[in-house]
Amino acid sequence: MDVKIFQGLFSILIILSLAPLFAGLVNKFKARFTGRVGSPFYQPYNELLRLYKKETINANGTSFISRISPIINFVFVIIAAIILPVMFLKSIISFQGDIILFAYLFGTARFFQIMGAMDIGSSFEGMGASREALFALFAEPIFFFSFGSIAFISGYYSFYDVFTSIRLENVYYIIFIIICSISVFMLAVTECSRMPIDDPNTHLELTMIHEVMILDNSGFDLFLYQYASYIKLLIYAILEISLFYPFGSFSPTLQVVIFLVGFISLSAFLALIETITSRYKLKNIPLYLLFTTAIGLLNIIIYTFTK
Amino acid sequence: MENVFSILFCLTLFYVAVTYRVKAYVTILAIQGALLTFLLFIPLLDNFNPFSVILPLTIFVVKGVVIPIYINKIILKLDVKRKIEPTIEQISFLSLVILTIVLTFVFSIYLSSITKLEIIPFAVGFSSIFTGIYIIMFRKKLIVHVCGFLVMENGIFLLSTVVASELPMTIELGVMLDLFVVVFLMGIALNRIKSTFSGFEVTHLDRLKD
Repeated sequence: MDVKIFQGLFSILIILSLAPLFAGLVNKFKARFTGRVGSPFYQPYNELLRLYKKETINANGTSFISRISPIINFVFVIIAAIILPVMFLKSIISFQGDIILFAYLFGTARFFQIMGAMDIGSSFEGMGASREALFALFAEPIFFFSFGSIAFISGYYSFYDVFTSIRLENVYYIIFIIICSISVFMLAVTECSRMPIDDPNTHLELTMIHEVMILDNSGFDLFLYQYASYIKLLIYAILEISLFYPFGSFSPTLQVVIFLVGFISLSAFLALIETITSRYKLKNIPLYLLFTTAIGLLNIIIYTFTK
Repeated sequence: MENVFSILFCLTLFYVAVTYRVKAYVTILAIQGALLTFLLFIPLLDNFNPFSVILPLTIFVVKGVVIPIYINKIILKLDVKRKIEPTIEQISFLSLVILTIVLTFVFSIYLSSITKLEIIPFAVGFSSIFTGIYIIMFRKKLIVHVCGFLVMENGIFLLSTVVASELPMTIELGVMLDLFVVVFLMGIALNRIKSTFSGFEVTHLDRLKD
């Protein structure tokens, strides 16, 4: 086997193994910031193990949709993770236009999660599904505005080429990276249902979005959903960190350093945001997303005038 | 480099368009003042002249420090409620601002083919003027109207630094003094209104009286 496949396997291994750690770090930092000791940072691993061992029970009256949707959701998120390059490692699936495939893999995963939630027939899950669909609708332009403009600037349309081709010889690129990182961060908060959009800790069915959709799942199905959501969080974190590689001038050692520093500091930053902000009213969330879209539009404007 | 600060200025316009809090407006005014100061410092990097530091420093003191602190003081003293009370939905407002920014960019590209100008600062300054006007049009609170006026003023300032990079300093300082006096007078007027009427919203003005 050649080196490329090894690199790809290694990067997917990194994502699979570090995903629960990232979520655990966020929870640990959040507990520290609010003055609690908090659960240990490896707690998500324990929870995943516990769910893995448990028996799956499906509600009466559910069809095959709710049986297959956790698996499909998980698999599509994994494929999206395979597309993503981690550090200097080239991903297994990499071609011109994989950015678009990446976005729609997440779209399909979300579609099946929504279908699974609707299939159970509980009104709570239906409500969560409708909210998820609405916010996903608003979140999609943000992704295309920010990554589309990066792709335009660099002239490539695959993640690996895009992330390795942005050079900092132009002062515009620094401001571009800063603005892009703001919009990607806000996108990540939306997509992963974190604090200003959705509170992952509440168990009030009326206020949550993502957690309410998996209320009726148990055992291995819940394991798949939880693991997929951890992986999704890490994927967005890696997307955010990847924007800062040009500051390390693409030397492999510096990229590893940037990755590790970004991994820890981003989890701390996410925890800080979750500590100091409260959940927005559901009515105001489209406004927040439109604001992020406006930032994405600014990216396009910068691109237009910095060619 | 001017473009970088102009883009950041543009971000503050977006934030002004979505926020619901009066305090955020004041913070944004301080940030805009700081950004304008940086913008004026850039030409000084090439040829430093101790005399020309006076204008940026005055702008920083007046726009970045004194006016925000003064408005904050008024808000505390008059016990202004923290929501801005818009007359239209914030989403429509933001869409209006985005549309304006896009249109001014298109307009300034067209203009730049006729005369020589920096596109990004020109367009951002122009859209800042419009955003200020929108704030005055679509908000009920008088204190927010003052903030809208100041956003408009910042836009005019940005525009003037681009169009005429070298205005005589006395004129700039005169404009500064004018602005300061206007805000000061508005504070006094708001105090008077407070002692006569219960609230200060423009909705009180839609009834005629003898």
